[in-house]
Amino acid sequence: MKPFISFENLSFKYSEEEPRWVLENINLTIDDGSFVAVLGHNGSGKSTLAKHLNAILLPTEGKVYVDGIDTCDEEKLFDLRQRVGMVFQNPDNQIVATVVEEDVAFAPENLGVPPAEIRERVDWALEAVSMTEYREAASYHLSGGQKQRIAIAGVLAMKPKCIVLDEPTAMLDPQGRKEVMKTIRELNKNEGITIVMITHYMNEAIMADRVVVMDEGHVILDGDPYEVFSHVDELKSVGLDVPQPTELMYLLKGAGVDIEKTVLTDEECAEVLYNLLEGQR
Amino acid sequence: MLKDITLGQFFPGTSPIHRLDPRVKLLLALIFIVVLFVINNLVAYIIMGVLLAVVVKISQIPLGLVLKGLKPIFVVVIITAILNIFYNTTGEVLWEWGFLRVTTNGIMLGIFMAIRIVYLIIGVAIILTYTTSPILLTDAVENVFSPFKRFGFPAHEIAMMMTIAIRFIPTLVEETEKIINAQKARGADFETGSILKRAKALVPILVPLFVSAFKRADELAIAMECRCYQGGENRTRMRVLQTSRIDYVAIVITVLVCAALVSMNFMEFGWRA
Repeated sequence: MKPFISFENLSFKYSEEEPRWVLENINLTIDDGSFVAVLGHNGSGKSTLAKHLNAILLPTEGKVYVDGIDTCDEEKLFDLRQRVGMVFQNPDNQIVATVVEEDVAFAPENLGVPPAEIRERVDWALEAVSMTEYREAASYHLSGGQKQRIAIAGVLAMKPKCIVLDEPTAMLDPQGRKEVMKTIRELNKNEGITIVMITHYMNEAIMADRVVVMDEGHVILDGDPYEVFSHVDELKSVGLDVPQPTELMYLLKGAGVDIEKTVLTDEECAEVLYNLLEGQR
Repeated sequence: MLKDITLGQFFPGTSPIHRLDPRVKLLLALIFIVVLFVINNLVAYIIMGVLLAVVVKISQIPLGLVLKGLKPIFVVVIITAILNIFYNTTGEVLWEWGFLRVTTNGIMLGIFMAIRIVYLIIGVAIILTYTTSPILLTDAVENVFSPFKRFGFPAHEIAMMMTIAIRFIPTLVEETEKIINAQKARGADFETGSILKRAKALVPILVPLFVSAFKRADELAIAMECRCYQGGENRTRMRVLQTSRIDYVAIVITVLVCAALVSMNFMEFGWRA
């Protein structure tokens, strides 16, 4: 099977004169329907990588293919953008119209979808992010988490195959963060939409099927969350943290306690500790 | 304090006025404005005032909101009235001092101008914008002006700019308040000193506000491109504007009433300027 997204020897810098590559020789494939989290500290190139997925940025060297479309192909630009929806950090700066449903309708209107179908798509998109009851509300009366879900509905109305989220929870309170993460997971599970999420929250990254860690324009770790977060030392050396339960297990292991597996969630951690204490009795 | 701005806001409702096609409302508003400045008979103005009150009643806009909308223009009305009193110097002279001369016709003109401005605000700024959602209003503007596109008139672009402006007003108001508070917390003083000093104190508010507005514009443009925005070509709309019986009724009533009011210009009664 051909991968849904493939980066082939992708290198990028903002201008010719600049000596340093922002991205250097990236080779990465992402399967249809997967949920990938991209981790990295500020300036690691993770947002730059995301912007290559719908041709906001074009490769300096190498190629990016999405669903068989070369992102450099200008004739297919809008096909590409319709397939890959992009959600940004600040929900306030992505919402175009005052009334919620008018905003969600913006993308299908741009695509020239007939009015009756726009109505259907808007209703479906609002339902998918659980915002149906707010469809006639003014966006400035909503909370941050609700606004971000409207922004997601706004790209969902294009019926994309993939949604790229660039730190979608960075400006939200914990409640809003939870709402948005739940929405993203549901879209991946129920609608089969491929998710690429840029984040620097570890507890969000562990929800993904796969974690890609970037540093200085390179992919340094790539695998399922258990695999990636077992490299505690490497993650720390590039300025990233690991989830707190993982950190605790790591410290215990360092102190000589016999722990085999990597844990990510509080529940797993509790279970391992329980078994450990049971065994010592 | 900034949230007190009510002029140009929309109050949702289900009255017959709310349900009119926004294009029809725009057309009727235009007829209303022309007639308002054509008629010159006090009796006609009184009738028009009564009819405006009836329309306000039908539209279910609370009287308090109407008065609140009129308050900011009170000074403008007074000044215009006074200027116009001295503008017309024909008719019976009542008072004279140097080059200033107050005549009966002058006073009439002053009263008429005051009435015209007040009616204009009630008719357009209050009845039209309070009962029409901004999106529908911009749709109507785009729709009404689209025949002029072939002469290079940017109907879609203007409508899109209006939509975005309306969308960002509350966001920027909120941001301004945040900046003011942040500057106050740093010891900025906006309330004392001469006008010049207070004007200077605004600079530390305006600079960050503009910087942030430009940043927002940049991000919004990228977000719009990501949602396949490519201008007005081949664009469809979720809501298609449709005229129905209620619109035709409104047009007929307005045209007949306006014709009657204008015809009073040629009658022999009433006071006129």
